[in-house]
Amino acid sequence: MAGNGSMQDIKRRVRSVTSIEHITSAMKLVSAAKLRRAKTTFENTREYFHYVTESIEDIFNNVNDVPTKYLKSDREITTTCYIVITSNRGLAGSFNSNVIKRAEAEIAADPEKPYIIAIGSKGRDYFRRRNYEISGEYLRPPESISFIETHDISKPIIDLYDEGKIDEVVLIYTSFVSSLEQRVRTLTLLPFEIGNDPDVLPFEKQVEYEPSTEAVFNYLVPKYVEIMIYGAIVESATCEHAARRMAMENATDNAQTMIADLNLFYNRARQAAITSEITEIVSGADALD
Amino acid sequence: MANSIRLEIVTPERLFYDNRVELVIVRTLTGDEGFMANHAWACKLLDVGEIWIQEAGSKDFKIGAISGGFIDVKTEITIFTDAAEWPNEIDVERSKSHKEKAENWLKTHTRADADETEILRAKVSLNKALTRMHVAAGGARRKR
Repeated sequence: MAGNGSMQDIKRRVRSVTSIEHITSAMKLVSAAKLRRAKTTFENTREYFHYVTESIEDIFNNVNDVPTKYLKSDREITTTCYIVITSNRGLAGSFNSNVIKRAEAEIAADPEKPYIIAIGSKGRDYFRRRNYEISGEYLRPPESISFIETHDISKPIIDLYDEGKIDEVVLIYTSFVSSLEQRVRTLTLLPFEIGNDPDVLPFEKQVEYEPSTEAVFNYLVPKYVEIMIYGAIVESATCEHAARRMAMENATDNAQTMIADLNLFYNRARQAAITSEITEIVSGADALD
Repeated sequence: MANSIRLEIVTPERLFYDNRVELVIVRTLTGDEGFMANHAWACKLLDVGEIWIQEAGSKDFKIGAISGGFIDVKTEITIFTDAAEWPNEIDVERSKSHKEKAENWLKTHTRADADETEILRAKVSLNKALTRMHVAAGGARRKR
């Protein structure tokens, strides 16, 4: 009988879609919990960022003998270092591909050989598959990274910048707009673009720098890079969970629609089978008369 | 009561402290230094060390451990540091094991067979462990 085979198939599909739905809805709950935690960390860090950036701007506006190697105008840019922040896990909708797409566009627009640092395995795998040279990779889970650990990421970057091997440091990551919206952001960390901003008034008082202006400055700039990288990792982790939560919610919804459709097909097939069976019995009985 | 000034201590992970204080003593790269209200404006780098805070209207000092950073003295004082801890947050056992590890490492390595930065790192780690232990024990040297 024709109906039987397809009824079996439909039943099997309903079962598999149901178990997928269980998994996606569980993942959705997990992501929602992780998102909440990541968001708290993210909000804490963002609140305190401005202290360091403000201090650096203060020094810029008040000191004449700032080491100029960190200023934009004094440096010809040839080699650019791209820091691409992705996640280590998939199933987060277009989260990783958005970052990767932007990074690839930036790198393609750059005539010089890029210097790529991948944070997160998804970005690393993508660029490695396409035979880009990866100069550095950091694959620790982003939600458990501590500020001290980001030092290992930023130190080599600062060293290379000081040595003149790279002339520009660009950070590509996902920034958090809301739980429903995340946007890919490109941020130039070094050299600084802040010049002598005429809007910012110089201090009316002399500021003591100790041990020396240069020492303070040479401490603050790497710290700034470190903080920005740490902040971007924390923000990106928050976005990852938000994106995954959305993706899993959509998947769960889709699974439910699919189950409803399949059940409809199943019932139709069942009815068709019954109808044809009755027809057969009736025609069989008719034939006996 | 002496004049007080607002002190904020910020780490990348949290706001460690925010209150009005009479005096704050920190270790700068050139030595221990105390800051009170109406101090000349300054921006100084800090070493790993203890921080002593005398809150407005209080005789006692609050003690904490901080690991480097900088202090920004203007109309308020802001201290930015990589990590800061109160005595009750310090795991003494862990600090002890860190101290021993760093000491042993320094005993077995000399400038001949180790990198300059590695020796420096071990020294900083030793210093951090010592500071934590001192702070946990209620502060090392200055007692009032």
